[in-house]
Amino acid sequence: MIPQSFEYHAPRTVAEASSLLARLGSDGKILAGGHSLVPMMKLRLAAPKHIVDIGRIAELAHIREEDGTIQIGALATHFNIESSPLLKDRCPLLVETAREIGDVQVRNRGTIGGSLAHADPAADWPAAILALGGEILAVSARGERRIPARDFFLDVMTSALEFDEILTAIRVPALPARGGDAYLKLHHPASGFAVVGVAARVLLNAQGAVQEAAVGITGVAPKAYRATGVEAALRGKSPSARHIEAAASHAADGIEVNSDLYASADYRRHLAAIYTRRALERAAERAAAS
Amino acid sequence: MKLDGSYTIPAPREVVWQQLMNPETLAKSLPGCERMQPNPDGSYQAELKVGIGAVKGSYQARIEILNPVSPERYRMKVEGKGAGGFVNGEGLLTLTENGSAQTLITYSGEAQVGGVVASVGQRLLQAAARQIVSQFFQAFAKQVQAVAFPPPSTDPLIPSSPR
Amino acid sequence: MATPLLGQRVKRKEDPRLIQGRGHYVDDIQLPGMLHMAFTRSLHAHARIGSIRVAAAKAAPGVVAVYTGQDIQGQLGWVPCAAGIEGLKVPRHSCLAIDKVCYVGEPVAAVVAASGYAARDAADLIEVDYEPLPAVVNPEKALAKESPVIHEELGDNVAFVAKLAGGDCASLEADKTLKVIKARFINQRLAPVSMETRGVVANYSPGEDLLTVWSSTQVPHILKTQLAIMNSLDEARCRVIAPEVGGGFGSKLNVYGEEGMACLASRRLGRPVKWIEGRRENLQATIHGRDQINELEVYVRPDGKVVGLKCSIIADLGAYHQLLTPAIPTLTALMILGCYNIPNVFVQTTGVFTNKMATDAYRGAGRPEATYIIERVMDLVAHELNMDPVDVRMKNFPSPDDFPLALPTGVTYDTANYQRSLKKVLKAAGYSRLRKEQERLRKKGKYLGIGLSTYVEICAMGPSSRMPAGGWEFGEVRIDPTGKVTVLSGTSPHGQGEETSFAQIVADGLGIPYDDVTVYHGDTFQVPMGIGTFGSRTTAVGGTAIYQAMGRLKKKMARIAAHQLGVKPGELVFRDRRIETEDGQKSIGFAEVVAEAIFAKQLPPGIDPGLHEHSVFEPSNYTFPFGAHVAVVEVDGETGEIRLRNYYAVDDCGRVLNPMLVDGQIHGGVAQAVGQALWEELVYDENGQLITGSLMDYAVPKAHQFCWFETQNTETRTPVNPLGVKGVGEAGTIGATPAVVNAVVDALKPFGVRHIDMPLKPEKIWRILKQGVRN
Repeated sequence: MIPQSFEYHAPRTVAEASSLLARLGSDGKILAGGHSLVPMMKLRLAAPKHIVDIGRIAELAHIREEDGTIQIGALATHFNIESSPLLKDRCPLLVETAREIGDVQVRNRGTIGGSLAHADPAADWPAAILALGGEILAVSARGERRIPARDFFLDVMTSALEFDEILTAIRVPALPARGGDAYLKLHHPASGFAVVGVAARVLLNAQGAVQEAAVGITGVAPKAYRATGVEAALRGKSPSARHIEAAASHAADGIEVNSDLYASADYRRHLAAIYTRRALERAAERAAAS
Repeated sequence: MKLDGSYTIPAPREVVWQQLMNPETLAKSLPGCERMQPNPDGSYQAELKVGIGAVKGSYQARIEILNPVSPERYRMKVEGKGAGGFVNGEGLLTLTENGSAQTLITYSGEAQVGGVVASVGQRLLQAAARQIVSQFFQAFAKQVQAVAFPPPSTDPLIPSSPR
Repeated sequence: MATPLLGQRVKRKEDPRLIQGRGHYVDDIQLPGMLHMAFTRSLHAHARIGSIRVAAAKAAPGVVAVYTGQDIQGQLGWVPCAAGIEGLKVPRHSCLAIDKVCYVGEPVAAVVAASGYAARDAADLIEVDYEPLPAVVNPEKALAKESPVIHEELGDNVAFVAKLAGGDCASLEADKTLKVIKARFINQRLAPVSMETRGVVANYSPGEDLLTVWSSTQVPHILKTQLAIMNSLDEARCRVIAPEVGGGFGSKLNVYGEEGMACLASRRLGRPVKWIEGRRENLQATIHGRDQINELEVYVRPDGKVVGLKCSIIADLGAYHQLLTPAIPTLTALMILGCYNIPNVFVQTTGVFTNKMATDAYRGAGRPEATYIIERVMDLVAHELNMDPVDVRMKNFPSPDDFPLALPTGVTYDTANYQRSLKKVLKAAGYSRLRKEQERLRKKGKYLGIGLSTYVEICAMGPSSRMPAGGWEFGEVRIDPTGKVTVLSGTSPHGQGEETSFAQIVADGLGIPYDDVTVYHGDTFQVPMGIGTFGSRTTAVGGTAIYQAMGRLKKKMARIAAHQLGVKPGELVFRDRRIETEDGQKSIGFAEVVAEAIFAKQLPPGIDPGLHEHSVFEPSNYTFPFGAHVAVVEVDGETGEIRLRNYYAVDDCGRVLNPMLVDGQIHGGVAQAVGQALWEELVYDENGQLITGSLMDYAVPKAHQFCWFETQNTETRTPVNPLGVKGVGEAGTIGATPAVVNAVVDALKPFGVRHIDMPLKPEKIWRILKQGVRN
């Protein structure tokens, strides 16, 4: 488990990092917490010539709220999020998602930005960020752009980021009144990745019917996705067990479903519906109780 | 690993067939193809830099077209070596007319992967292979479009279709 | 610390250094001028090797040498196999493949360079031309006439066929009053996955003509002999040291080609050479465990009494034999009757070559397979006869008075009380309450499962007459002039904690403080002879050798003390740092006797100076620890997910010297066993590629996946050794797997399920649930 040689850069500011990346072109690779990239380098599946370690850029490690929007710096570790009192109060879905990631060691080192940029089709964050309708901030020497979460994940381990762009922060709306959310997951027993992971947010109207439901699903397809069929089926309905179950049955509609040694496409499709139902039930319960 | 699927190219079957047989078009369509040269036996030798996200590997590939039945079908055999492993694949490509202006390419084959990718990548292999195939067809469709429907030349000195 | 120490939860002597990161493992060894080795390994399961192009590797920065199979032929002996089975075929097994590769991961070339990085980079530059051959992956297909043959010179893929018969199974076929139950079980291939991978440093010193090898091994003395043979050195010129070893689970009870190559490279280059295995190499090229297909016929009386068992074992041995490869499945045959005195037995074991890594001893080594077979059978009997699994077991247990019990398999169980351990675990689990809860939940569509396993294992390996290369063990106790005690053992513990239990034995026996005893093991220059640590033998055999050596020492000290005190040696006892008469009237300090013995001023006639005794203990029989486990599982009726809700274990490993060490062994063993039942599986694809080649896919159990294990003991001492200990290192792994599988099958009883092969992945369960309730 010995990587190929590489040159190491440790910029101190985002500006410094972006000019480095602009110069290095496709030979450069950003290192954040190192929990996706380093294992691949050790296996020699990835052999970047230059590593740009953004781990020392202090401005990237924040978690704050501005006008009802939560902003999380790319370098926030899963543990930072899991243990954030602000998020526990204002965006509990992120806390619940963080808790389900890997193990203690992974959560202590791995970062939300690194995980999202890696775009592993079974990672947990994409489901949550999609369900929250978040956006991703990317900075390059060419400037900053905001990428809506639903445009961010393109394919297996492929995001909308250009090679010279740094994912600097994630912005998600705080939990509104009459809102509830939940993240549920079937862990792969070896990797801890999601065989299926479902993040749901439910907003109820004053009458107690579903004003808006959002469902992000990971682990099922080559990229995490919004289950729009589920969302549409539930909109305007009362969050009864029957309505939720009927809506959840659309969890994998029109989706090309993954198949691997642990779970066939059939089984994953089934799990997607079950976990969607359970996540929606829990989110709706919480919304009703809020 | 079984690989199958289909892709619709918005061009007549004859044009699609010709371009599939055209090494230059193939070279431009194969993801990460850095060089492609004919071998004396009629096969091609290609240098491919294939990658998914941060995973990138260089492969030396031998590509062979077998039993072509113009303009309907042929078998393709690929033997790739490099990046700590190998990929061998063989499959059948079938071209079906879908109206006069569209061609449906159906592929079905079997790939054998060995080395580090095989031993650690089973979870993502199928999806990654599909992504690479789809990258090929997207690039190929663009190439075919350029041939079948050349954009009007803005400069009369530059011909609008490939040489 | 209070005496007696034996039986107390004495804290481990090993822990302070290990917990503080101060232990020294092979990779911590740094020697001046040390080089690093890396291997180029086969990408193919089965292929002829054409040319190997090494020029680029040789020219790479820092590279000192590159070796291929051709380069070492005749210079380095074959990788050894010690198993003795009649008619066994042993393929030549070179440390580097010569003209053919037979599994993915087989070493093809070795690079030695100035750093590990340079070696790895250069190994990647080696180009091997392979001519792929059809891979033999399925052991049953490997037996077919039309199968490709892996070792052409051996004729076919059958390594051996062994038969074991007792009683008369044939006569049962005619008995129409008997119910015949047929079954087929697959015991899947597993990886041992010790936390520390393999590693070796070989340092040949030309001036002294001495080869010193540090290896992460369980058997330093065996390794020394074998490396001396492979390298054509006198054993006196070869020293093996097992430094701290981070787990082995049997995988380091072996002699590997990489160890041979490190020695060869160091001999040729006159410099130390280090090789540290990576995790991917560890999964590909360290021995695997299990991998059997069992076809069974069971003959049962209507009252549940099992009278006959026929079993065919197809053992997938992999491509080559490692040290004990073919012997492992024969242990399954030997222990197939478990806790039940079934009068008629017939087992045919067929060892088969396939294009995979060799299987060999993995914690339990053949006995987990046996326990799995017989404990699944007992549940099948209960299922077919609609009996409670407890009643079936009670019906078939021998009485405690039947021991020593000679079985038709040819083994004689020493002592046991199976009824007692089963009753105790049922009480701990609240069995009848659980059954009621199960009934209640079933009505609500929830699936609770209760699974039993009553196991017996064969341990304390073993009488030399039954072992491939000696089953005795060496122990030495010496007392230094300051009165402190040094203990040497030929065993090689690697996490089990015998530095602690050996010190307990000696401190108690000599009546001195625990801290005054230091235990050494693992260096062949320090410990003159030894066999090693495996087969739950370390305390039972190695501890006894120390106990006997200590007995000799005490005899001598008593004679000296008696001479001083004017009493008979037999009247003296050792306690509280004194040697005294039972009534304490006459007494002399331990230190005084030590001084007298060593400075030899007034020794009684016929006594030599010094306090230094050793013993070699040869056990007269194996020991047979046993126990009863109960697993309680919940099955999610919608997804097939399984949750282990409770686990209860009652184990009898004979006399318990340190309950904390026993608990530790049981907890770890049960976790590994649950791993086999629920998660672990090495999968080769149809081309022989290992597709579970990293810990992202190979599911090693993790602490958060478990409930707390409720463990208890019963103590049935063995007469086989004077300590009365039986051994506990493998008990959990042997006992627990069928308990979990039985629990899941029990949970799914409403679906008419008879059997599910391991690992019990949720998708398998879901597919069963999907078919719906059958009865």
